[in-house]
Amino acid sequence: MRRGPLLLAIGILLGPAPARAQAVHTWGAQPDNPPAASTPAPPEPPPATLGTPVPGSASGPSGPPVADVAPPVARSPDAIGPRYTLEGLEVRGNTSTLARVVLRYVPFKAGDVLDVDDPELELTRFRLLGTGFFRDVQLSLRRGTRRGRVILVVDVVERNTIVVDDVWLGIAADVDPSGSAKPLGAYGGAKVTETNLAGTGIALGGAFAVADQQLGLRVRLADPQFLRTNWIAEGELLYNSARDFFGNRDVLVYDPTQPENEDYAVAQYKRFGGHVGGGHDLGVSSQIFLDYRLERIDASFPLAASDHRGEDVEPIDFMLVRGTSILSTLGATFVNDTRDEPFLPTRGHRLVAGLDVGLSPLGSDYPYTKLTLRASQWLSLPWGHVLALEGFAGSIFGNAPLFERFYVGDLSDLLPDRALDLAFDRRPAPNFLSTDIVEIRYGTYAAKLDAEYRVPLYRGARSVYGVDFFGSFGVYALANEQDIVNHASGYTGLATWPVDLTFNAGLRIDTQAGGFVFGISNLVGLIPVRGQQSGAARP
Amino acid sequence: MSTPRLLALVVALVALAPLDARAQATPQQQPAHPAALAQRQANYAWDGDLLRASFSYRDVLSDPASMKKLSSGLPVVIAMRAYVYRQGEDVPVALATRVCRVVYDLWDEVYRVHVSEPERERDQAAVLDGVLRLCSEARDLVVARRAALVAGQPYFLGVVVDVNPVSADVVEQMRRWMSRPTGSTEIGPADALFGNFVQLFVRQIATSDKTLTFRTQSLVP
Repeated sequence: MRRGPLLLAIGILLGPAPARAQAVHTWGAQPDNPPAASTPAPPEPPPATLGTPVPGSASGPSGPPVADVAPPVARSPDAIGPRYTLEGLEVRGNTSTLARVVLRYVPFKAGDVLDVDDPELELTRFRLLGTGFFRDVQLSLRRGTRRGRVILVVDVVERNTIVVDDVWLGIAADVDPSGSAKPLGAYGGAKVTETNLAGTGIALGGAFAVADQQLGLRVRLADPQFLRTNWIAEGELLYNSARDFFGNRDVLVYDPTQPENEDYAVAQYKRFGGHVGGGHDLGVSSQIFLDYRLERIDASFPLAASDHRGEDVEPIDFMLVRGTSILSTLGATFVNDTRDEPFLPTRGHRLVAGLDVGLSPLGSDYPYTKLTLRASQWLSLPWGHVLALEGFAGSIFGNAPLFERFYVGDLSDLLPDRALDLAFDRRPAPNFLSTDIVEIRYGTYAAKLDAEYRVPLYRGARSVYGVDFFGSFGVYALANEQDIVNHASGYTGLATWPVDLTFNAGLRIDTQAGGFVFGISNLVGLIPVRGQQSGAARP
Repeated sequence: MSTPRLLALVVALVALAPLDARAQATPQQQPAHPAALAQRQANYAWDGDLLRASFSYRDVLSDPASMKKLSSGLPVVIAMRAYVYRQGEDVPVALATRVCRVVYDLWDEVYRVHVSEPERERDQAAVLDGVLRLCSEARDLVVARRAALVAGQPYFLGVVVDVNPVSADVVEQMRRWMSRPTGSTEIGPADALFGNFVQLFVRQIATSDKTLTFRTQSLVP
């Protein structure tokens, strides 16, 4: 207990601290220096010219109305600007980004008739800001060589394009190599991307995650305009040296390298491979991605192991092929995103649907199909707060490898999420409802409903864009087929429904470097609840 | 790094991160209530049953970046909303709006201005000073009918001026608002531009190239 206060302080940071994609703020550049305290006096009001002056007004009625304007001209209210012939395009302010990269996003060319009211002009500015390469973008026109001709000038202010996509830091309940439970183990990692490599517009990213005897590495290359088309091309290399823990503190293991009676059975595996893919816009707010993945997996785990499942003893399925195996999949993901902001949205929705198919006819040792659907809706409440509702459902048919299955830590806020597919924590679900979900760490069916309430605390326009307090509450379910057709013995009635609750509270902080979450859930998760450590039903 | 040292580092990071956010919060924050906005003078006048106000927001276009943008040859929109607040309350009782759209004609060297006001839309050609008068001053703007105000109670205007609002919806809503009959400036909960002070003056900040907010001195009808 002497560690209690220290753990309490640490807990704020223990929650997975994912830094989301960097918020793209599409308004104009902020001044380099904030306004000084002694700002100039505000302008005097113009005199009133109609009616009776009210006492206390700045001055009485005097002075003529506006007189130095030309007589009104007849024009359509929606098209007051002239049209020009575009003589050329000019890019200014780019020191590292190639001009041709900027011009990729400009849908005008010399010879076009340019209507200054064309909404494409404003969209071009937002498109360029949306690349993340620039702190500010301004479009303007200047005269061409002949009357009626103009040159479109694109002024850019480049920004730091190194973005922190994710940060993981925390502690987890771990297991030592012999299978004995350890009280705590630290884990950490980060994902960083240079979004404009050498000014080419190509993104180069790297990520690592590390824990006791676990390491995950990623290198990613993405071209948002592959071969000057509207296709996004992406490739990633991965390496994982991972392990995972099976059982609930009373496993029986048959393996010459591991004691027979241990708390947990340990599987160790290495993955090496990668994926290549492409994406395409399907309108303003929708995208589709396709990818092919190929990996080699080397796995070792006990020759045999068993554990209690309810009141019965059953063999442990390690969900991997012993020795060397190949994983080969085709995937498709559809995204529809209408959020007003990526990290602290106040309205809009996001829909992500995914399909992965194991290509067993082409050499994959893991024939399976995985379907996932995640839908989120953000609602701005009249009193300024934000309500977010989210639903998730997923199912896997076939023999998916361990790291592709649904993991309880990804559903519960009270356990660490996986980072780069590494699972850091040995514990099952907290099991607040005393159901048989305590028997399940990995499942082939998962669902979750979650509601989050956010209170904006601060809004800024410089290095910290926003700080919100949030509180969330959710219910989730995780099961394998056997948990549905033949549930664990010792559970009756509603306890046979593998359902649990989750909650979190803390701060969401949107910064120039990315978004960060500081939650208390992981600290709360380290306090055992009934049935969590050894299962609710045991002989 | 040993576990205790790692934990100490974690604690230090936890302690520092929120402090950093608070330290930067002060100069950016908007006040919590409309009465605390920076004050500037306005001229009020009764035109029969209508309360008219005249005030200036020329400083919204006074910086070099805004002046440069005005002469860029591309449209610049200056959208002004004047909310009528009863002293001590955060929910406005009425709204008056004004939208100005300016395009500099590069070859004729003249600014073409389209002004949308209540019950009136007009196009004009102007030189720069004319643009500033047309687009950054409200003259005799109808802000409320006498019946919408409680006699003896102080009222003031909370003004938001946006240069190039990002959301075209806001501008469109303002245009629709201006199509109402003269003096129909009262706000109801169902109105699109309705909201409390935090929504209107705090959350919408930074949704345009530049935003100016201020209040006027109080008026007792």
